[in-house]
Amino acid sequence: MILPLLPLSHAFLGFLSIAWGRSARATLICAFLFDAAAIGLYYAGSRWFGPVFVGGWKGPVGIALAFDPVSLAFLILGVLLELAVAVYVWREQRRPYFFMLLHALFAAAYALILAQDLFNIYVILELLTLTSFLLVAYDRRARQVWASLKYLLLASLGMSLFLLGAAIAYGYTGSFNLAEIRTGIAGSPDGPWIAACAALLVAGVAVKAGIFSFSLWLPAAHSTASTAISALLSGFVINMGVVVLIRLDSVFRLDLPLLVLGAVTGIAGAAYAIASLDVKRLLAFSTLSQIGYLLVGLSLSGGAALTGVLAYAIAHGSVKGLLFLAAGESSRAVGSTLIRDLIGGRRRIPTGVRFGLLVGILGIIGIPPLAVYVAKGAILASGKGGIDQAILIALGVGSAASFVKLIPLLRPWNRVRAPSRTGALWVLVLPVVLFAPLAVRLFPDIPSPTVWSGGFLWKGFATIGAGLLLGRFLLHRPLPLPQRIFRAEFGVLAILAGFLLIYLLLGGV
Amino acid sequence: MSYSPSGIDAAIALLGIGILVLALRRDLILKLLGLGLINSSTILFLVSIRFTPDAAIPILPVRDAGIVADPLPQAVVLSAIVINFAILALALVFVMILVERYHTTDSERIESEVAAEQGGEG
Repeated sequence: MILPLLPLSHAFLGFLSIAWGRSARATLICAFLFDAAAIGLYYAGSRWFGPVFVGGWKGPVGIALAFDPVSLAFLILGVLLELAVAVYVWREQRRPYFFMLLHALFAAAYALILAQDLFNIYVILELLTLTSFLLVAYDRRARQVWASLKYLLLASLGMSLFLLGAAIAYGYTGSFNLAEIRTGIAGSPDGPWIAACAALLVAGVAVKAGIFSFSLWLPAAHSTASTAISALLSGFVINMGVVVLIRLDSVFRLDLPLLVLGAVTGIAGAAYAIASLDVKRLLAFSTLSQIGYLLVGLSLSGGAALTGVLAYAIAHGSVKGLLFLAAGESSRAVGSTLIRDLIGGRRRIPTGVRFGLLVGILGIIGIPPLAVYVAKGAILASGKGGIDQAILIALGVGSAASFVKLIPLLRPWNRVRAPSRTGALWVLVLPVVLFAPLAVRLFPDIPSPTVWSGGFLWKGFATIGAGLLLGRFLLHRPLPLPQRIFRAEFGVLAILAGFLLIYLLLGGV
Repeated sequence: MSYSPSGIDAAIALLGIGILVLALRRDLILKLLGLGLINSSTILFLVSIRFTPDAAIPILPVRDAGIVADPLPQAVVLSAIVINFAILALALVFVMILVERYHTTDSERIESEVAAEQGGEG
């Protein structure tokens, strides 16, 4: 019975933050304590986490909520980033309105991880989109407002496609409930209407989930937002699209489109990351490439692969949050977000921030004891070999290559004492470093002996080495990548093209 | 499954027009109108896909016990209309901020001015 309280408590705290005025920042800590207590209760074996029908209506009209391993994993990631953001903005003089928006964002996210029916998912995705727009444009800088408006146009189109898909599913089965849709289409899973329905739903979510050719708004929005918001959007909010894809994957047969979209997203994200000159833009593109990795993992159907995907989402979320916070702090010390300027002024980056950057970079390229290596190993171990293994290794090489540019930032290991907000970095460094022992408790399905075997370690180091060499090779050879595709007009056409691609892959014609 | 074919055809036509306006017109206000068309098309689609001819109104007590119209799409459409209204209103506010700053509603010109401010990368 505790399930509706997870989002509702945040709605309440949102109002409270307006009422408390100057001490609104404390409401984030309250929210963290409440959510952490909920996770503790779940592990203590509480019976309060059973499925709930809000309002008591069952069947096709009911709003079903359920708490499963997917919800748990994303709740843990949400709580981690909640604490990191709370600590990071503690000394910023933010208005209560800012905290209200953050609470609205978390309320929507926690409602989404529980939602089990398509219309509820649609409403929550729209709520998430609205709060993200406001947070991206929070400082009212013109480029933030423009990035946010482009995001709004494309996301709104995507959500309309999603609603069309939900309408077809409802017309076909008479229900919005995911489980009932699954049984409703079981008789004829391959008809053209079903393919159109699945393609519309996936295309709609893909706009939110950072999938290439759908999410062309992402680099601008994630790189222009202020530091804490970037960390939250790239580490957590982008994963909400992945949650919906996991739900859709349980209803429709999406293996082939997910594999193709994952490969395209991963490679395009890495290529643009290698070519970018701005550190926040590099991180935003790296998010795209990591989402590609997640999708390929998701296309390997099976329980172990899903566990790997969840572990990867937590690992990537905390590493990316850490990198965005550390990069934000570095550019605050230097006064620029261009990588060239950061390297020029690297002696001014405080030691703690530099340590955060080191852990973040080592973490994201997949150095063994850190979080991403364990999760990547879990996904690799659940693959059947062949094409998906090759794609996963290629994506690993790409993500290592995209961070070669940032390595000079770490080189002179001099002590710099400067006021900086390293507390938030520690909140995320700890889970990244301690992920391997914690994962044994969190995800018992991960085949630890395989992940830590010599063959996997060798494969991991070889992938990173190849990536570093590739990155070194491309360092002074700029890739000729078109930047025009990030305009709003192209984004609309790209969404349509992507929809047609998914429709063809699902065998609609 | 009963549905209204003409309603669905009209919805798809509206969707096409909306997407064309969104993709091809550079004026932000026109783009938002295109978005409005797309939103309306989804609403028309939702209403048409469970349309039952000659059905009774789904309000208790139902007078003749024959076919009763499905009430759920109407409830769903109501939420969708409210959400779309909120998003369009917010988008208009953002356009207003941009117009105050750049004195134009042309998306290409805003894009190039923003790119010029941040130095190169669009």
